[in-house]
Amino acid sequence: MTRCLFSNKLENCVTLWRSAGYSVIGPVRKDATSSYAAVEHAADFDLGMVLPDRSIKELFFPQTEPMLHYTIKQQAINTEEFTPPAGKRIIFGVRPCDASGLSIDDPLFGWDYKDEYWFQRRNESVIVTIACTKADDFCLCTSLKLAPDSTNGSDILLRPLENNNGWQVEELTERGREAFSAIAELLQEASEPTAPLAVVPEMFNLDTCVAWLQNPENFESKFWKDISMRCIGCGSCTYLCPTCHCFDIQDEGDTYSGIRRKNWDSCSFALFTMHTSGHNPRSTQSARWRQRIMHKFNYFPGKFSVNSCSGCGRCTRQCPVDMGITETLQKISTLHP
Amino acid sequence: MTENIQSVQKNIYKPAVMKIVGRHDEAPGVKTMRLEFQNPADHEEFRQKYRTGMFGLYGVYGEGESTFCVASPETRTDYIECTFRQSGRVTSALANADIGDLITFRGPYGNRFPIETFHGKNLLFISGGIALPPTRSVIWSCLDQREKFGKVTIIYGARTVADLVYKHELDEWQERADVDLVLTVDPGGESPDWKNKVGFVPTVLEEAAPSPENCIAVICGPPIMIKFTLISLKKLGFDETNVYTTLENRMKCGVGKCGRCNVGSIYVCKEGPVFTAAEVSRMPAADL
Repeated sequence: MTRCLFSNKLENCVTLWRSAGYSVIGPVRKDATSSYAAVEHAADFDLGMVLPDRSIKELFFPQTEPMLHYTIKQQAINTEEFTPPAGKRIIFGVRPCDASGLSIDDPLFGWDYKDEYWFQRRNESVIVTIACTKADDFCLCTSLKLAPDSTNGSDILLRPLENNNGWQVEELTERGREAFSAIAELLQEASEPTAPLAVVPEMFNLDTCVAWLQNPENFESKFWKDISMRCIGCGSCTYLCPTCHCFDIQDEGDTYSGIRRKNWDSCSFALFTMHTSGHNPRSTQSARWRQRIMHKFNYFPGKFSVNSCSGCGRCTRQCPVDMGITETLQKISTLHP
Repeated sequence: MTENIQSVQKNIYKPAVMKIVGRHDEAPGVKTMRLEFQNPADHEEFRQKYRTGMFGLYGVYGEGESTFCVASPETRTDYIECTFRQSGRVTSALANADIGDLITFRGPYGNRFPIETFHGKNLLFISGGIALPPTRSVIWSCLDQREKFGKVTIIYGARTVADLVYKHELDEWQERADVDLVLTVDPGGESPDWKNKVGFVPTVLEEAAPSPENCIAVICGPPIMIKFTLISLKKLGFDETNVYTTLENRMKCGVGKCGRCNVGSIYVCKEGPVFTAAEVSRMPAADL
């Protein structure tokens, strides 16, 4: 017997959570796209999709976010700080790859200097992850040593039942327990078996790839030019990625008043690293693609002992020229280290 | 795991407000500003933290922030001095600001020149053009405790006589008996009354031929100068671990998050900007 949440109780859950002061967020399909968005009713969830088009990142690190409002009057600067909208929230139906993405970026936003925009939202969010029972051709969590039921970054893990009528509940953190105590009356002890997990074939050997990337001689390999030939530098892969965290800081306004914003940026863009002098350390698209791969699988793990990729596959799934991390690492894994 | 999430602290992107209390034209397009903190707590934090070599983000609201070094030494922390060339949006706004105007500063960030490990050693400073400001911060940090160091040699070059920055301080160093100053301008950059050297910095360095014995070299300049100066230093017998330099890259956050200033795996904003030549030579040259 294990504790289960049955699908027919989900609407009651949403109601109870909302009355307990949580806002409820989950995978939602709207118009031509899908994302994690706020819902009022369980019927608004679309729990059938492999994963939403947009990653969970934007709920913690929005595409654009005001940081300061400044006004300058009679030789005095007044600034008013924007803090992220406060409030507890439950993000229901998160995919394990998206949840892992959050835990991957925690050390980055926290080393020495802590980014409160990230951590305030992290501290107020309960991540209720549903293990995957289906995958598509682009999913690659297993190649990253993760799995369709990885618990990294999750507060609760739900395992779908075989009859597709609910989930087994695994409480992973105190925050998760607290959120589920609000719906304790709706949980039932049951002995229904869980559905088999999605089968995600391993597409490359990560260790082989990392060994190749760590060899300094390969930094200027011709491989980088060949593999990135068709990259148009649109930045979609970085924006859709749950772990890409690069940003820009820009002022919107004039000399007297305005807003300082933190905006998503992308290592795919030529201006990203361009000096005022005109010198650009990463002046070609191949240097920029190399940076993205090196950063994710060599530099980032060197600092934080975790790859900056959770295997969601969005970069490949939605690349307009059909590139992506999978193809690059597959090819690297066949090269001599 | 989520249970280890750090607690929220202060907003790391909020800059301190600084008042411009001094403004000096150094060379065509190059200005030095002296800035004073408006909030005593910000000032105290700076005093505690600042060591020579660190950098800051200087900003004008409405235009943005720009990264450059703190040009004043760690021995003088009543104020911050910065020297910059007017070339982009932020530096143009800074250049147009006047005494009494308010600008912003975030920092100090990054690592430092470990000058206490230079005690008892001879110091060789080599600098080119607009790269004297970071070197000048180290120079004064050492000259303000002159007795702790051996012989001090400064080799400084610019394209033309007009392009030399800190002209008043160059005069002061030239007059000091305890400082050897070698000034040079590129061929064609000399004025009719120029009495110093004419020639590129590496050539002048080889002529001066300072001894590598018990000597630390601090070099800063445009990439091409650094490249050839390193070759000359090697010829003179300097060990790469005794040669320090400072790198700069485009930055937005200054605190290791925005993802653009890395050279290979090294974040210039956190692991730098000060590196030994040995460290630089291990970086992928194609990423510099």
